[in-house]
Parts: sequence; structure tokens; C-alpha cells
Amino acid sequence: MLYDLSLHMGYVYDVPASGARHLLRVMPLSLTDRQRLIAGSLSVSPTADESGTFTDFFGQQTTSILFRGPHEALDIRMQARVQVDSTPLTADLSPELPKLGQELADLWSIDPDSPHHLAGPSPRLPNNPDIAAYARECARPGRTVREIAIALCARIHKEFKYDPEATTVDTSPREAFQLKRGVCQDFSHVMITALRSLGIPAGYVSGFLRTIPPPGKERLEGADAMHAWVRVWCGKAAGYIELDPTNNIPASSDHIVVGYGRDYSDVAPVIGVLKSYGSHRTVQAVDVIPVKG
Amino acid sequence: MAVNPASDIREEDEAIGDDPILGYHALPGISDEMLDRDGQIRPVWQHLIDSLGHMSEAELHERFARADRYLRDAGVFYRSYGGQGSSERNWPISHIPVLIDGKEWEKVSAGLVQRAELMEKIVADIYGDNMLVREGILPPALIASNPEFLRPLVGVKPANGHYLHFCSFEIGRGPDGNWWVLADRTQAPSGAGFALENRVATTRAFSDIYGESHVHRLASFFGAFRNALQAHKKSPDDRIAVLTPGPANETYFEHAYIARYLGFMLLEGEDLTVVNDRVMVRTVAGLKPLGVLWRRLDASYADPLELNQNSHIGTPGMVQALRAGTVTIVNALGSGVLETRALLAFTPTICRRLLGEDLKLPSIATWWCGQKAERQHVADNFERMVIGPAYSCAPFFDDNGQSVLGTRRKGTKASIEEWLASEGNRLVGQEVVTLSTTPAYVDGRLRPRPMSLRVFAARTEKGWQIMPGGFARIGSGDDVAAIAMQAGGTAADVWIVSDRPVERQTLLPPEESFSRNMPGSLPSRAADNLYWLGRYIERAEGALRILRSWHMRYAESADPDQPLLADVTRYLKSIDMDMAKAVPEPLIRNIDSAIYSASNIRDRFSPDGWLALNDLAKTAKRFHEAVQAGDDAAHAMTVLLRKLAGFAGLVHENMYRFTGWRFLSIGRYLERGLHMTRLLGHMSGPDAPDGALDMLLEIGDSVMTHRRRYNVNTARLTVTDLLALDPLNPRSVLFQLNEIRTEVEQLPHPYGTGQMSALDREAMRLHSGLAVMTPEAMNEEIYRKLETEMEKLSDLIGQTYFG
Repeated sequence: MLYDLSLHMGYVYDVPASGARHLLRVMPLSLTDRQRLIAGSLSVSPTADESGTFTDFFGQQTTSILFRGPHEALDIRMQARVQVDSTPLTADLSPELPKLGQELADLWSIDPDSPHHLAGPSPRLPNNPDIAAYARECARPGRTVREIAIALCARIHKEFKYDPEATTVDTSPREAFQLKRGVCQDFSHVMITALRSLGIPAGYVSGFLRTIPPPGKERLEGADAMHAWVRVWCGKAAGYIELDPTNNIPASSDHIVVGYGRDYSDVAPVIGVLKSYGSHRTVQAVDVIPVKG
Repeated sequence: MAVNPASDIREEDEAIGDDPILGYHALPGISDEMLDRDGQIRPVWQHLIDSLGHMSEAELHERFARADRYLRDAGVFYRSYGGQGSSERNWPISHIPVLIDGKEWEKVSAGLVQRAELMEKIVADIYGDNMLVREGILPPALIASNPEFLRPLVGVKPANGHYLHFCSFEIGRGPDGNWWVLADRTQAPSGAGFALENRVATTRAFSDIYGESHVHRLASFFGAFRNALQAHKKSPDDRIAVLTPGPANETYFEHAYIARYLGFMLLEGEDLTVVNDRVMVRTVAGLKPLGVLWRRLDASYADPLELNQNSHIGTPGMVQALRAGTVTIVNALGSGVLETRALLAFTPTICRRLLGEDLKLPSIATWWCGQKAERQHVADNFERMVIGPAYSCAPFFDDNGQSVLGTRRKGTKASIEEWLASEGNRLVGQEVVTLSTTPAYVDGRLRPRPMSLRVFAARTEKGWQIMPGGFARIGSGDDVAAIAMQAGGTAADVWIVSDRPVERQTLLPPEESFSRNMPGSLPSRAADNLYWLGRYIERAEGALRILRSWHMRYAESADPDQPLLADVTRYLKSIDMDMAKAVPEPLIRNIDSAIYSASNIRDRFSPDGWLALNDLAKTAKRFHEAVQAGDDAAHAMTVLLRKLAGFAGLVHENMYRFTGWRFLSIGRYLERGLHMTRLLGHMSGPDAPDGALDMLLEIGDSVMTHRRRYNVNTARLTVTDLLALDPLNPRSVLFQLNEIRTEVEQLPHPYGTGQMSALDREAMRLHSGLAVMTPEAMNEEIYRKLETEMEKLSDLIGQTYFG
């Protein structure tokens, strides 16, 4: 699929910020045999006093911008054309759970793509005994790692209600788990915490979803803002798969990857430190339109 | 090395004559620093012990008191965190030093130099090639799950080529007499400054013995490190600074002390900003480039954008500056990963792989339970293991009880196996080490107490140097766990004794290389605190003067409703001075605010000034509880005024007349001007109650001058002339405005073009506006306007210099 993608994020400060520094992670990745960024542009208003880009540890293009003077608002606009190929799930090559630990231990690497980074607790995702107990219920003996991940994904989708009012960007997985409500970020955080508690390395994927469904299909949840789903390491032979617990589907050509990380804190589209008191209002708009080719 | 530290160190209970020294016995099966295996005094201790043996108990106490007095006067403290928040504690010195033979120390030093080199190679590999992981030497989980592994720093090479510049090692001596490394500290090791203060204090107690023994001096170690840091600057204008988390940190005293001792700036994260990928210091003279940062801040707090997003004490963009290679941070961000306790399990193998040789000083035997065979070993031998968190950076005896002895954890071998299996990745087992003992003076005699040494290593231009000494942590009782100072342990000086005279060196450069350094630029935050310190001090003085006059009159009339008293009470209320107590609560808060401001800039303060300020606060609090209205209170105010004058005098007499002093002075002048302006507005009007003018003169300390100058009874015009418009009266409003104008002109002009700044203009306008006034023209409205303009001037100072 070929998409034209646009993202607008706007911030209006009640009291003008007297200076600010932000990191932006919004540009889609290029991934071999899966996704290609054909063209992309990022602009901010007002014009930043300094800006630069670098590639972060997990391989994501990151833009840093600095405002020295006072400003009342910040507008971030990203546009991109992306080619996405479908990556259907192949035959299940993943081992049963008890064998996964040894496969992981035999992997002597801490390269950015190594599942070791996704095995332990991360800044937003400490261990949680309740979520661990929930996870154990899905890990029936005899199930493969992939089957467990798919079962967890289905269970979270079934038992959690999609409710943008229930949580915020700062909600912990513990709270979301108690509420059994939230958005893509909460669903993904709970699922990652659950998988890790079983010893299955799992990470966070940020990205976009196709806005208008193909004819005859339902519109997916989370298409009106940036989306998130889960990456699961299923052993040496199977490698990673990506599951979307918000919609209970594997990531498909409807999913456009922006970044990989351990949790939201690694891939947050905007991280900022600004000198201001008072609050601010935000708007976010996303369009992911298939291009007729 | 397999003895339980809790059970085998017992007190010798039988009485051993009168001599406190000769009654000392080592404990069975444990090494002792003073006595060798045969119970003989080791040669390096002989002179000290002979000398102690000839001292009476009274003399010994007098000597110890000298050391204690030194520490108290120098204001040495550390912060202790308990259940009820934190409190400042005096430095817990153990007066008897630990003496170590210079020959033996050479071996220890060689072992630690090797270790420092090894640590450098390991951290370079972890953030670089990852050979250790790839070759199967270092388990990837140990790095990837480690909170001190900072991914944004992967691939970022330090600007000067090295990750580590200053490390410390915790070492202890086992029953076989050999030294073991218990922990490596590479993040932001603390204690070097305390070692210095410990040395000074101990030599106060034993100056004669110290002088007669060939004890290695510490100064050259610091001198060499300072020179090394200076060599890292890329341009001569670059600043060097110590970066502190701030006054709430447990070792803040030391940060201030080290900065002062080495002549570096003491900065907090908010003093810094990153512009064009360079770290800059916000100073009152504008942004100044920073070349080298010796951080005492844990790395993850250094940059809220790329590291811990919850940090409020960091500098956004710091990692960006590191990527650009424009600043040297000592030690590199991320080097805390080396402190991980579980790494001790791998250091022997890594040493052979990276250095091609064995460790000269062994690490305490450690097994990481993330590996199957190792986990089994710990389970099989749990009776002689301490089991604790794998990623902890503290040695097992100093981690707030997170580590437990295998035998103390309830349960069987099976339940321990289960525990290790479920949380293996996060646990290590360490063989229990019985540390050596050293004499401590307890209840009138020397007793053996367990000890460990903290030793410091600095990268100098000639390679790693080991501080000849350090400090020994001494347990308070029989338990090794009580070595930690938070648990009542104490700290002793360590003397490395040579068999020949040692080189004496101080930090002073040789005579011919004399140069006078200009004082560095004043950080904006320090200026802000100095300014407010001046204002709070003066505010307290103003209130004290009014209150004293009030209580003197109340003592005569005992009638608070008498018109003058009632009027002044109203005035006091208008400046939020609630009179429920004779020494009011808001006054206490005022003094506390002054202390808070001062606490943020302790590196700029003499310990005397700090003690004087704290003494003032303590006395004020005592008076607040006890003092009654009237004569009692008037006397109390006089006492407080005297103490306050003592502080002001110390500052006035001792503070270097540079930019910082100007901000403090401007704060005082401005507050004094405001105080007098408000009072005049309230009390010098035509409808002021009887006696108001006399009281005004009294508050303005101008009764005598008035009598001499005007030769008449107090009248509205003469009082106005003297207190508002007299340019020579140090209490008059005009005097303050003149001083402010003069000081402001001397301040740096951050972005100046040689023209007058807005602040210059405003200070001049205010001063000349009042200078042309006549007493007849002054009235309440003019005072009120003047007050507003002075407040505006204060805002302008803040905008110009503190923003």
C-alpha cells in the first residue's frame, strides 16, 4: 500500500513559554521488506532557534528543536509518503514458553534490535504482580510463545474497554489494568508488562493507522491520532511479531511504523522541557490516505 | 573467608587493668590492623600506641575535643535520611586513625591502578564495541536490564577520550590478611572531601604524633587531579565546575568543600543551559562556556530530555552537547553501570581477557543468579552467602538492608532455590567476608571494630594516582552491617606510614608561578540567593527594631490599646507581622528564609557566617517559645539584633568585594529603603499618634544624631529630613538609593553596548528623584509611590540578572 500521511500537533500555552527544548519522534521508519519512507518533511512554527536531527539508540530519526525566546504556541506538522507491504503471520516457529529463556540467554548481543532490551522492566513499566497473575492465566502448558501472545492480545481486547476519557498519557499500566479501560498506549503497556512477566521480551511500537477502512471493513480504533501496538520476540527462529491489542489483529499493511522502544517513554512523539507555568491545550490530527497507484 | 560477621566478633568482657591501650586484644580468627597474628603491635603503629599509652584519659579527651571542635567550626556535616525526612548530622569521626605500612600500600595501589584501568576498558566496551558480550564473557541481560545502562550514550565517545577520571573503591581485609575489593564506585564517588576534613581533624588531635610519623600527605593527589581537569579545557576561557544535585543531597557539604578547595564553580543543573550544542553557565555577566564538569549528580538526572524524564535537577540538551563532543563530564554519563554488584562476578575473567593478566586485588567472591550453574552454587552454599540485588550499586553492608544473609532469610534450601529461580536475574550471592578490625576508642578504652576502607583514584596527566589514605568506615558494634554511617558507623583517618620522610606539598603553586586569578563570573542563581539573603536579613532586622520599640513602650504602659501601640500593631499587621507571640512566627520564617538562601550558596560562605546565621535562628526559636511581652521581649530583640549584627559583621569584614557581595548589599539596601519608606509613610503624617516621631527615630537608630543636628524637639520636618533625605545617615532612604545606584553601576552588563542599561537608568532616576525633594514636600502619597518604584526596581534586578 502507498500512503500519504499527515500529522498535526498543536500546543497553545496559557502563559507564554519563555524558552523550550523538544525532541520530536514522528517520522516513519524505513524497514527492509516491510516499509519504505519515500519522502517526508517536518516543520515547526514558530521557527526554531536551533534544530538538528540524530538517530537514537533504537534507530529512530529524532529531531531536536530549541526556542530561546517567549512563544505562545507550538505547531508541529509532518507529511510523508510511505510504501507499506503486508507482512502476514507465517507458520508458528516459536518454542513453548519454558524453552524461550535458554534461547534468549544464548543470544549474545545488546545491539539495538536485541530482545534483551525488551526483557526487563523499563522506565514506564515496572513489574506488576497483578498483571503477572493475569498473564499466567494465558500461559497454559503446551502453548507456544506466539500462541500465548495472541491469547493475551485477544483477552485484553475483549476485557478492556476503549475509552479515551478514562486515561491520560501519564496513566500507569497498573491503573489502566485496574480500570480495564484506556487507549492504545494503555492496552499496549499492559500487554508488554504481561508478556515480560512471563519472560517473553516485548516492546512498544508507535505509528499510524490507515484512517479510512477499505470498503466493507470497519474503521479501526485509534486512527484519529498516533497509534501504538506491541512487538513480541518469539524465539530465535520466529523472531519478532507485532500485535495490535486495541484492535486484536496482527500489524498489517494498515500499520505504519514510526518507532520501536521499550515503552512509551522511548518513542513519545514529543518530549519537551519548557519554561512556563500554567497549563496548555493540545490538538492532534492525523490523516493516513491510501494513494491510488 | 567464610565466617558469619554477626556472630564471631565479640567483646572481651574481662577487665584488663587500668591501661586502655595494652588491654586491646584482637578477636580470634579475624585480622587486625594494629596487631599481627602473634598479637604483636605492627611496627607502623608502635609510635602512636606508645604515645597514647603515656596519655591520661583527660589528655586524650582534650585531644579528641580539639578534633571535634575543628569539624564543628568548619561546619562539616552530612545529611541523614530517616523516617522523618532528613536532617544534618555532624561528621561522625572515629578519632584513632588506621595506620597502614607504606610498603603494603604500594601493593594495594598497584592493584587499584590496575582496577581503574580495567574499569575504563569495560565501560568503553559496553558503550562501544560490545566485544565482552559478543564473546560470551558478559551476559547481555546484565547490561540490557541495568538501569544505569544509558542507551542515549551508546556510541558517544568522551570528548577527551576517557570515560573515567575519578573512582573510588571499597576494600576490606580478610582473615588471611589479604585485601579484597568489595565495591567499585564510578558514578560520582563521594568522600574525597570528607577524607581531607577527617585528616585535618585527626591531625588537630595528634599533631605531634602526626608530625613525628612519616605519614603521606593528601594535597598532591588533589593538585594532580586539578591540573588534569584543567588540561581538559579546550579554550582558556572555559570554566570548570562541580555539578551538585543541590543542598538536599546527603553529601552537599562535600560538593561545596571540594569546589572551594580546588577553586572550581559549584553549579546546579539549572545554572546550565545548552546553546549551539555547548554547555553554558548562566551568569550575571551573561552565558559563559563550560569546558569540564565534575558531576556529583547521578547520570540519569543530568538531562530530562534524553535521560530520566522526571528529573527536575538536570539540564535539557546535556546529552546533545556530549554527542557534539564540546564538554568533558567527569565521569562520563553512563559509567555508573560499572558499579553493578553483579559485575563483580565477571571482573576476574574480564581482566584476563582485556588486560591479559589476573586481578592484583581480588573482588569479593560473587555469583550472579541469572546463570543456572551460578544460581545452583548460591543455593547449595546459602549458609555462607549474602544475597542481594544484582543491580545495586552499594556494597552489601551499606544498602539499607536490601541484602540478607542466607541464614537469616527464613526458609529451607528449597525455598531459597525457588526464590533464586524466580528472581535470579535480579539477585547476586556474595560470600560473606569477615572484615578486619581496627582499634576504636569506646567507653574509655580501645576496642576492635570491623572496618572497610574507601580509597580514591584519580586520572592525572601521569596516569592513575591513588590517594595515599582515604577514610576508614568503622562499625559501631559487632555487625558488619553497622559500618554504614547511616547505621551509626563512624569514619577514621587513614595514615599511610613510610619508613622515611615523605614529600610535603600543598596546593599552593611554587612562588615563581604566582598569578592572580580574576574571580569567575557569578552564576545567576547564586546572585539571586545572595540578593535575597540580603533582603531577608534586613527584613528581619527591620522587624526586630520595630518590635523592640513596641515592647519597650508596652513595658512602661502595659496597655496594648494605647494609641501609639495600637497604631504600630496595625502597621506590623500590614507587613504580615502577626503579634500572637512576643517573638512572632513570621520573624522566625524570615530568618529561615535567609538560611535557605544561604544554604544554596554555601561554597561562597565562611563557615563562621553559616554558624552565626544558624545560631541566630536557634535563639529566635527558643525565644519564640519562651519570651513574654514587655521588658522580656525587648531584651530578647536586643539579643537577636546583636546576633544579627554579628552575622552582618562577618559578611562585611570577610566577604570578597566582588559581584556576589554587590548583590548581597543591594538586597540589604533595597530592603532597608523599603522598610524606612513604609514606616515614614505610616508614622510621619500629620495625624500620627503622639510619640510616633520619637519612636521612628528610635527604630531608625537616629536619636543621638537628631539631637546633635537639629537641637530642637522632634518635629515632622526634622525627622523627615534625617530619615528620608539625609545623604549621610546610613538609615535614611536617600542613603540606600545612593548606595544602590553606586552598586548597580558596578554590576556587569551582560549584553552591554556601553550604554546605560534599563536598570542603571531606573536606579539613577529613583535616586535623583528623591535627592531633589524637600522635607516639606514629602507626604504619604509620595512614600507610597516611592515604595512601588522600589519594588519595581527589585523586579528589574531579577529580570536583568536572575532570569
